[in-house]
Amino acid sequence: MRKRGTRKSSRRFRTFRLVLLSGLLLTLVLIVLVSTLGSQKFGTFHKLAFETTGPFLKVFSGTTRYFSKITDQYIALVHVRAENKRLWDELQVCRASAYRNREAVATNVRLRKLLDFKKKLNLPMVSAQVIGKDPSLWFRTVVIDRGTSDGVMKGMPVVTDSGIVGQIFSVSPNYAKVLLAIAPSSALDVLLQKSRVRGILKGTGSLTCKLDYVLKTVDVEKGDYIVTAGYGGIFPTGLPVGVVTKVVKKPRGMFQEIEVSPAVDFLTLENVQILELERSFAE
Amino acid sequence: MTVIVFIILGLILIILQATVLMLNPLWVAAPDLYYILVAYLAYRFDLVRALFIILPLGWMLDTVSGVILGTYPFICFGAFFLLRFMSIKMPVRESLYQIPLVGVSYLVVCRIVFVILDFLNPGTLVPWSWPEMFVRALLIILLAVPMFRFFEFVNQRLLRSFSSFRIMRVRSGNRYR
Repeated sequence: MRKRGTRKSSRRFRTFRLVLLSGLLLTLVLIVLVSTLGSQKFGTFHKLAFETTGPFLKVFSGTTRYFSKITDQYIALVHVRAENKRLWDELQVCRASAYRNREAVATNVRLRKLLDFKKKLNLPMVSAQVIGKDPSLWFRTVVIDRGTSDGVMKGMPVVTDSGIVGQIFSVSPNYAKVLLAIAPSSALDVLLQKSRVRGILKGTGSLTCKLDYVLKTVDVEKGDYIVTAGYGGIFPTGLPVGVVTKVVKKPRGMFQEIEVSPAVDFLTLENVQILELERSFAE
Repeated sequence: MTVIVFIILGLILIILQATVLMLNPLWVAAPDLYYILVAYLAYRFDLVRALFIILPLGWMLDTVSGVILGTYPFICFGAFFLLRFMSIKMPVRESLYQIPLVGVSYLVVCRIVFVILDFLNPGTLVPWSWPEMFVRALLIILLAVPMFRFFEFVNQRLLRSFSSFRIMRVRSGNRYR
């Protein structure tokens, strides 16, 4: 009986403690709420809470910022790469375009010169392009893209606006081989423009020619112009051939040794004109 | 098939030589690629097939170069028989000697052909120049190894394609026919 009474009183005491604790907590919460909402004062509890959460906030936000920065940088890098590639492509296109334009201007100038020359000369001509060069060291020929189907025949003179290039050596329906004036087997009937003295211009295989059969009595000077004589009927008269660069009068022999620099630049030969004269060499 | 492929290859080499490699009509440093092909044929091909390739090669060269017809067939056949003779009869058949021999034979053959042509057609050829010819011979020696490898590769591919074709061919069961 006595034991049962003791157990009952302890349970009651425990309930009382619980109610008391709850009441106390509730009172505290009420006090905090009233004090906070009422006075709007940033109290000790707030400060305590703030100081506790602050470092966590700091670390978390710092980490987030760090990762965000890395992500941003990476994305930016990807964009920069893409942008870089795009700009490089654009630059390549622009460069190619500029190169094409420059080439077109150069071609235009060259062809205009040839056209002017064609008009000035007023002879039937066929324009041709040099498509191949003689790979041998012993011959000086080039291959052009015109043949008998374009009216080209063996022996026809080949010229540019600068002067004589050579003669058609062999021909097929669509292509022809031109023997250059600098070839050793080439011989042209020419005149010294000033003195009107005739001579034979022979190639040497290099970028100079020699003028043969000019007598020592003839007055020839460095810088004198050489033009075609037109006697054989192959070349028209007066086409520029070259300029005298050296004159040697040896004590022995009848003739002078005259070196001539060709008027045509054979190193940059691209487009030529074939004079369609009535009588070809072959005929 | 091999003959046709090598003729086409020769044509490509000639075109390369007359266009891309010749920067101007007086350009010296253009390798004579056709000569390397002739040397390869002399070393690796049987006589009949090699001659079938060399003949059109010489004709094609004559059309794009020179003013004396027959110059290139003369050079090609001369080089072919000289190299073939040397590789069969002399101890120079070792691959170690083959490459320098190509350059040396080039100088020898060209000199002989030049002397003959100059004798028959005086005043037609550009005067002989040893420095220029040495440059050409050096280029041939330098390019001989890669070109030989390339020709060998083409030849092996052609042989392999032929042998696989033979394997694929359906045979009848009659073995005694």
